[in-house]
Amino acid sequence: MTYSIEVEALSVFAGTTRLMGPVSFSVAPGGTLVIMGETGAGKSLIAQAILGTLPGALRSEGRITVNGRRVDTLPATRRAAMWGHELATLPQEPWRALDPLMRAFRQVAESHRFVAGTSRAEARRETVDAFAALGLTGAEDRLPGALSGGMAQRVAFAAATAAKAPILMADEPTKGLDAARHAKVVDLLARVPASGGTLLAITHEVAVTRRLGGHVIVLREGQLVEQGPADQVLTAPADPYTRSLLHADPQFWDKAQSHPAGDIVLTAKAVDVVRGGKRLISGFDLELRQGERVALTGPSGIGKTTLLDALAGLLPPVAGSVLRGRSLSAHAVQKLYQDPPAAFPTRIPLDRSLRDVARLHGTDWQVVLQTLENLGVHPSLLSRRPDEVSGGELQRISIARALSVRPKVLLADEPTSRLDPITQKETLKMLERVGAQENIAMVLVTHDRHIAEKWADRVIQLA
Amino acid sequence: MSNQIDMMIEAIAPTTSRRLPVSRLVGFALLALLAVAAIGGPDLIGKDPAKQSLLDTLQGPSAEHPLGTDNLGRDMTARLLSGAQLSLSLAFLSVITAGLPGTLLGVVAAWFGGWTDRLLGAFADAVLALPGLLLVLMLAAISPGSWWALYAGISLTLWVEYFRYTRQRARIVLAEPSVEASRLLGLGPWLLIRRHLIPEIGPGLLTIAAFGAATAVTAVAALGFVSVGVRPPTAEWGVMMTELLPYWREAPFLILQPVGCLVLTVLALHLSVGGLRRS
Repeated sequence: MTYSIEVEALSVFAGTTRLMGPVSFSVAPGGTLVIMGETGAGKSLIAQAILGTLPGALRSEGRITVNGRRVDTLPATRRAAMWGHELATLPQEPWRALDPLMRAFRQVAESHRFVAGTSRAEARRETVDAFAALGLTGAEDRLPGALSGGMAQRVAFAAATAAKAPILMADEPTKGLDAARHAKVVDLLARVPASGGTLLAITHEVAVTRRLGGHVIVLREGQLVEQGPADQVLTAPADPYTRSLLHADPQFWDKAQSHPAGDIVLTAKAVDVVRGGKRLISGFDLELRQGERVALTGPSGIGKTTLLDALAGLLPPVAGSVLRGRSLSAHAVQKLYQDPPAAFPTRIPLDRSLRDVARLHGTDWQVVLQTLENLGVHPSLLSRRPDEVSGGELQRISIARALSVRPKVLLADEPTSRLDPITQKETLKMLERVGAQENIAMVLVTHDRHIAEKWADRVIQLA
Repeated sequence: MSNQIDMMIEAIAPTTSRRLPVSRLVGFALLALLAVAAIGGPDLIGKDPAKQSLLDTLQGPSAEHPLGTDNLGRDMTARLLSGAQLSLSLAFLSVITAGLPGTLLGVVAAWFGGWTDRLLGAFADAVLALPGLLLVLMLAAISPGSWWALYAGISLTLWVEYFRYTRQRARIVLAEPSVEASRLLGLGPWLLIRRHLIPEIGPGLLTIAAFGAATAVTAVAALGFVSVGVRPPTAEWGVMMTELLPYWREAPFLILQPVGCLVLTVLALHLSVGGLRRS
C-alpha cells in the first residue's frame, strides 16, 4: 500500500553532531501520527525535515517518502512546490502567522485563489463554506488582532487547508491556549483523518495525544524512546521516560503541603478590573498572608492578567484598593511572566541582567549563584542571551532574578503554560519549595484546574 | 535537558552572527583609507592645493603630479585630499550634531508620551515638510559660500530621521513586558535605556548615521557643483567638477577624479553598514 508519509532512518545533523534520530515510521491516509516529547527534544526537526525547511546549518539523512514520492533527494524548489498542495502546515501560535493587516476572509480567500488556483468567484464561495463549517461566521471582516486565539487558529487552519493538501502537519497546535480551547482545536485536527487525510501532530501535552490517538512517537533529546499505537503507549508505556512524561500530567500530582500563614502582606478590597472599556472583574477581595499560595483560575479573557497587574501595582485599580503590608519595601512585590524570553532584555547576556538587579539591591553575587544552583541552573548558561536557553531554564533564571530582590510577594502569570509537563512540574515544585523557605506569598494565575488544586493552599475561581 | 538546542545554537551561531561579511570589511577598509586621506589632507603630500601654475595646466599623471593638474595648473592630488577633508569632516560633524539631539529627543518623546511626544512630533513633521536641500539653500543664501551654513543646514535636515526612528522603535521597546519586569525589579531610567533600548536601536542608528553621512557628502558636492555651496578657489569635489567639466574632452581623467572620490565615499559608507538593519 502507499503511505502518506514514510520515513526511514531519518536523522538530523548539525555538522557531524546528530541532533535527532534515527527514527522510522509510516502513516497511511486517514491515519494520525503524534510526536511527543519535552521542549528541545527535536520534535520540530522531524516536521522540518519532511517539509524541507530545516535551518541552513542543519541537514537530514535517511529516506523521506511523501505520497509515494521520495522527497529528500528533490531540489528545494520542487519541495517548496509541494507546500499547500501536498503538505500543509499549521504553524505554532498561528495568530502570529496571519497577516495582521488583512481581514480574516481575505486571508483564506487568498489561499483558495492563489494556492488552490480557483477562480475568484469559486474562491469566494469556498471561503464562505469554510467559514460556515468552522463556525467563523461573523468573523469575516475582523483583523487578526480582533480574533480570539481559538478563532485565529481556525482561520489559519482554513487558510492552510485551502488547497486541500492531504497531509496536515500541526506543530504544538495548543500552545498558549486555555483548557477550554484545547478540545476545540483537537476536534478541528481530528477532522483531517476523519475525512481521509493524514495528520502529523507535534505536542508535549499528554491530553492532546490522548484525544488524537493514532500512532505515537516519543522523543527525548533527539532519541526515539518509544513508539506504538496511542492506546498502548498511553496506558502501558514500556519506557520509564514515557511513564514520567505521562505521570507529569497535573492530575496525577501529589497535593502540595500547606504552611502556617503569617502576617498579611497584601490586601485587595473591592477591586474592579476594566480592560478595553469592559468591566471584567468587580469587587475582588483578597487577603494574602506570608508564605501562602493562592491560585487564580478562570477562562481566558476573564481578566486574570490584568488583575495580577493591579495587585503588582502596575495598574491603578479602577475601583477599590490594593494595600501593601507596612513592612514591605518598594520592590517586595515581584512578577513572573508567561513567556520567559519576553521578561528579559533581548540582546543582553543573562548574567549582565542578573548582576544589575543584584547590585541594585545589594545582594551578593555569590548568593545569586547559590540560588541558581539550588534551582538547578548551571552558571555557564548565564553567558548566553535569553533566546539561547530553553524556556524551562529561563523561567528558573527569572525566579532566581526575582529572589535576588528578596520579595515578599511573588505574582506568577501562567509561568509554566509554555513548558512541557515534566519541566512544568519541576518548576512549580521549585516555586513551592522556595516559597516555603523564604516565606514568600505567591499568587499563581493558571487555566489548569488540576494545577490550581494540587499546588495552591487556596483556589480562587474567577467567573 | 536542552542539550539539543545548545548544540543547534553552537552549530548555527558562527555562520549567522559573529563573522563580518566581506562587503562590510571592504566598506570599513575604504572608510579607513578615506579617513587617513582626510585627516592627513594636503599636508600628506606637502603640496598647496591653491598654488597655480599656468604653464602646467591640464597635465596627465607625472612624477611631479601623480594625478595630473587642473585647468589652472593646480595639483589634483592636493585638491582631492583637501576636498576629502572638507566633505568628510562636515559629514562626520553633521552626523554628531544631527544624531545626538535626534536620538535624545526620540527617547524623550517615547518615554514621556502625551504632549511632549505630540509637540516634538509636530516639530519634526514641520522640519520634514521642507525639502532637505531647500533648507540648506535657504541658509546658504543667508551666508553665501560659508561652510557653517552648509553644516547647520545639513544637520537641521538630518536630525529628523534619527528622531523618528528612535521614537518609533523606543515606543515599541518601552512597551515590552521585559521593560515592565525590569522596572518592577528596580532598574532606573538610565539602566532601562542602556540594557533595553540601546542594544535594540543601536544597529539601526548606525545605519542611519552612515546613510546620513553619505547624504551630507553628496549634498556638499551637489551644492558646490551648482555654485551655491562652498566657493572657489576652495578645493571641494563639487566645485572641482564644475571647474573641470568644460575640459572633459581634452582631459576626461580629470573630471573623473572628483566624481570617483564621491562615488567611492558613498559606496564605502553604504557597504560598511550593509545588512546591519536586521531587526
